[in-house]
Amino acid sequence: MVARNSTYLVGVTPAALLLALFFVGPALWALYSSLTNLALVGIDAANPRFVGLDNYARLFADPDFWTVIRNSVVFVVGSAVIGQFVLGLALALLIDHAEHRGWWLGALAYGAVLLAWVNPALIAGFLWVAMYDFFFGSLNHVFLSSLGFGPVDWIGSFPMPAVILANIWRGTAFTMIIFLGALKTIPPDIYEAARIDGANAWRRFWDHTLPSLRPIAALALLSITMSTFGTFIVIQALTNGGPGIATEVIALYAFHTAFKSFSIGYGSAIAVVMLALNFAFAVVYLNWSRARA
Amino acid sequence: MSKYSRRTFLRAAAATGIAVACAPAAQPSAAPPTGAAPSQAKGLTGTITVSYPDELGVKPKYVDQAAQAVQTANSGATVKVDLQKVSDDLYYPKLLLALQSGGDVPDVFHFGGDSIGELADAGYIEPLDTYVNAWADWKFYPDSIKKGATYKGKVWAIPYGMDTRWLYFRRDDLQKAGLAADWSPSKLDDVLAAASAVKSKVSSVVPYALYAGAAASDGARDHAFVPLVWAYGGDVITSDGKWVGNSPAIRKALAYYQKVYGQGLSPKEILTSTKPWTAMRAKLGDGSLALLFEGGWVYGGWASKDKAGTEKNVGYLLHPTETGGPSFTIGGLGTCWYITARSKNKELAWEFIKTWNNKDTVAKINIEDPHPVARSDSAEVPEFKAQQYLVDSTKSLEKAKFVPPDPNLSKITTAIQKATGRVANGDSSPDDAAKQYSADLKQAIGADKVVEQ
Repeated sequence: MVARNSTYLVGVTPAALLLALFFVGPALWALYSSLTNLALVGIDAANPRFVGLDNYARLFADPDFWTVIRNSVVFVVGSAVIGQFVLGLALALLIDHAEHRGWWLGALAYGAVLLAWVNPALIAGFLWVAMYDFFFGSLNHVFLSSLGFGPVDWIGSFPMPAVILANIWRGTAFTMIIFLGALKTIPPDIYEAARIDGANAWRRFWDHTLPSLRPIAALALLSITMSTFGTFIVIQALTNGGPGIATEVIALYAFHTAFKSFSIGYGSAIAVVMLALNFAFAVVYLNWSRARA
Repeated sequence: MSKYSRRTFLRAAAATGIAVACAPAAQPSAAPPTGAAPSQAKGLTGTITVSYPDELGVKPKYVDQAAQAVQTANSGATVKVDLQKVSDDLYYPKLLLALQSGGDVPDVFHFGGDSIGELADAGYIEPLDTYVNAWADWKFYPDSIKKGATYKGKVWAIPYGMDTRWLYFRRDDLQKAGLAADWSPSKLDDVLAAASAVKSKVSSVVPYALYAGAAASDGARDHAFVPLVWAYGGDVITSDGKWVGNSPAIRKALAYYQKVYGQGLSPKEILTSTKPWTAMRAKLGDGSLALLFEGGWVYGGWASKDKAGTEKNVGYLLHPTETGGPSFTIGGLGTCWYITARSKNKELAWEFIKTWNNKDTVAKINIEDPHPVARSDSAEVPEFKAQQYLVDSTKSLEKAKFVPPDPNLSKITTAIQKATGRVANGDSSPDDAAKQYSADLKQAIGADKVVEQ
């Protein structure tokens, strides 16, 4: 038993040390600095002071913060929950169906979705800039102009849908791959039995496919919710949080506060709130997954 | 490990991927204590690192020449050059993280003079009084420029090319809109009228670019909001150093934004694009934008592509006021050379700065990347005097007003970006945005440093 535990400890120690160094350490530092007025410039950089919960009081009284939270929720629900999750599941079902029938279009769709995913976030952001741009963008100058319409100010007029669409485009492959893998684990006999019982496609999906996918769905949803909540590169490339703060999400707000206003203490408070919200998501999703699995 | 270094180590870990130290290690050498009188600049030894950002590609040859000259004159000296091919926006946070991290820092760095206050208060930079007092060439720097480089009674940076700004206009576009080629607005409303004329008569041209929001970076402050507040007869800061939160001039400046964006005279892309100034400068250069208040240095980019076309089509004027009073510009120290407080070889660092800022280099680099020169003798170099644009730019500084080097400038800039972004995007009325600007300022820098008028 002791020997088994030692082997186990030797195995997990490197990972535990790395996690402590690169996650727990910075998280604890962020918590500490959120209680100070530390800055990167000015007198607060030279002599940071302990300010207690002042940064949090200021944050919760900051009207921009609530706009940012609302933006983050809209962005996460729009691009992760509705977009990447639902679209990823639908694509996985369609591609799985196509594979069973040997249709080549399935492989083509799989490749196309995967291509979007392999793009670094920054490149994906700039690709969509090239699509949306009012003056030079292909949406206006190839698509709309060929139909005889005038240019549309896509980002200025529809900033949140624009960034949601770009993020769905880039991130859908992840859930699609997860669900494709999960679909292959469902024994085909269940479907055959259901078919014999006279269940139509919808009933087969609802009664058999979906319950089998639930545990993996909870994990996929948790994973994409947390990563979408922390997304800022795609948005920074596309809108930089603008116009105004219409697409400023919490990660971007923390970044702007810490590295544009150089208020590290206040920026850390935002990061700590973000960490707490992510923790809450994790608890909710994991409970959901355990309860129903 | 001290508490300080532990803290900064964790910070560096937290910022992995962003916090990249700007420069390799500077070797220890016989450095004088802080504030010691510099010795005669011969036979200096040791190694220094000179760090600077450059996207245009103009500076490297001058930096390399100066580094070489220092090494030739001091056979035991090594000058390492750390060229960062990024914009100032990306360079500055990296530099600050290095300066605060407790790790290795460059000995000399190059950044905007409006950061003097915040860098000095943070203890990152070395006062240069002992060095400049022993430098014969310091007499060529006009008092106004010396004053600009002074904060809390000490000189902190050496400028070489001053900033001035112009209201640029395209003669060809304005003519198409029915205005005179030698258009000269007597009042601020004339700018709006010209932009409206372009909008209604020359649909292919963007009428006007008025910077707003976070995406516009410092442009929202220096190229739009601050000059507008001045144009409406107000100020952004009082004579005793308090920032003006809400005033008639600030409300009027924000109302101007409302008119410009509400009437579609400025594109909303300014609020969302990354580095919108890149597109706006290019557009004015090729004639697809008619009006733009921008830095004097921008002219060089257009002229280097098409000198004759630029001289023919691009006009430049001072900023008009609401009532037709004397027009003005917003000046600045431009980019400057600094010595870090933690440099271990300040004498050699100063030697580099002194060598770089010679009469000819200051003239030549400002011909290539057009700025008024900081040294009065450089303005007398024949090649400099032969350029009408540079002569006009230098003269414009007589009409320039300056924003003091406030240590809270970055926080104030954020508040300005928010206020202008809110109005430009139609999220707030000018009055509400002015109230919120005041609240943001109080929250960011303390209520005791903000006044309302």
